[in-house]
Amino acid sequence: MTEIELLHRIRNNPEDFSDLFNLYYKPIFGYILRRTGDFDDTADIAANTFYNAFIHINNFSYKGISIKVWLYRIATNEVNLYFRQKQKTNSLFERFDLADKELFNNYLSEDRIELEMELQKHKQFLAVLEGLKTLPVKYQEVISLRYFEGKDYKEITEILNINEGTLKSLLSRGVEKLRKKCNQL
Amino acid sequence: METENFENKLIQMTKPEVSQLKHQDMLANAITKAKDKSVVSWWWLCIPLYIIATLLMKTFFIPGTTLISNIQKLTGKEMYSSVLFFFLLPIVFITINFISIRKIYLLSGNPKTVNFIFSIWFNAVVIIFSMLVILIYLLKI
Repeated sequence: MTEIELLHRIRNNPEDFSDLFNLYYKPIFGYILRRTGDFDDTADIAANTFYNAFIHINNFSYKGISIKVWLYRIATNEVNLYFRQKQKTNSLFERFDLADKELFNNYLSEDRIELEMELQKHKQFLAVLEGLKTLPVKYQEVISLRYFEGKDYKEITEILNINEGTLKSLLSRGVEKLRKKCNQL
Repeated sequence: METENFENKLIQMTKPEVSQLKHQDMLANAITKAKDKSVVSWWWLCIPLYIIATLLMKTFFIPGTTLISNIQKLTGKEMYSSVLFFFLLPIVFITINFISIRKIYLLSGNPKTVNFIFSIWFNAVVIIFSMLVILIYLLKI
């Protein structure tokens, strides 16, 4: 099924959004985790991303960018907001009508343990991430998308809605700043 | 050279991966049942709308009065609340709606102009209405 067909299905039956969710939740969750390095903040930001996508899916117009790019764009905005506010996000899960909250919290705890162990296996990455988090968000987003997510220039320009020249300049300046930061660490 | 080496290091270093998320299915189910619970309720618009409506009705039903003279009378009697209702509240509405339009734009991908206008028409009406209220208020000065 193509993304356009999926979009039409969701517009006719909002519950079909779960198909889109299942398709992209894991990659978006991974992207946010690799930007924040914190499971709880990631879970909140990821839930907020998909909640915003669900509420605004009817405003999404399939022109030029794919749903995947659109989701990365929302996630990037949410992560940037998190860094700008420099505070913990409020738990969005309180808003949801979860069938069994206890079971959900148990699943969440199991996921937290597993992903915190996974994070600890990548010490070098965590050290680089610490340096990256001290840079302005405009450098964080390009470096993260290029080197942590392995996105090509075209995809990054679509996600961030910037031109290739700006992207190259941000990457070049950002990498240099990050290198200096990492040398200091 | 140093930067190139660092770039290679960034590409080659291992990154944490998400293999399985147990909470995923329950969250998907909860989100698809969620309703928009925005804190900004459009019912707040009723306050300035009610005052404007009463002033318009007064102008219409009481001979020899104009909207401007009624506003002048109100601002004379209720100086602080008139500043609040005719100046500060409309500015708040304009700001909220501009932020809302920006949010819709960011969340819409690259919207077609017609689709975008269709999505923001209510916000645009509120902005125009608020500007009118400020203009009417400033006219009395």
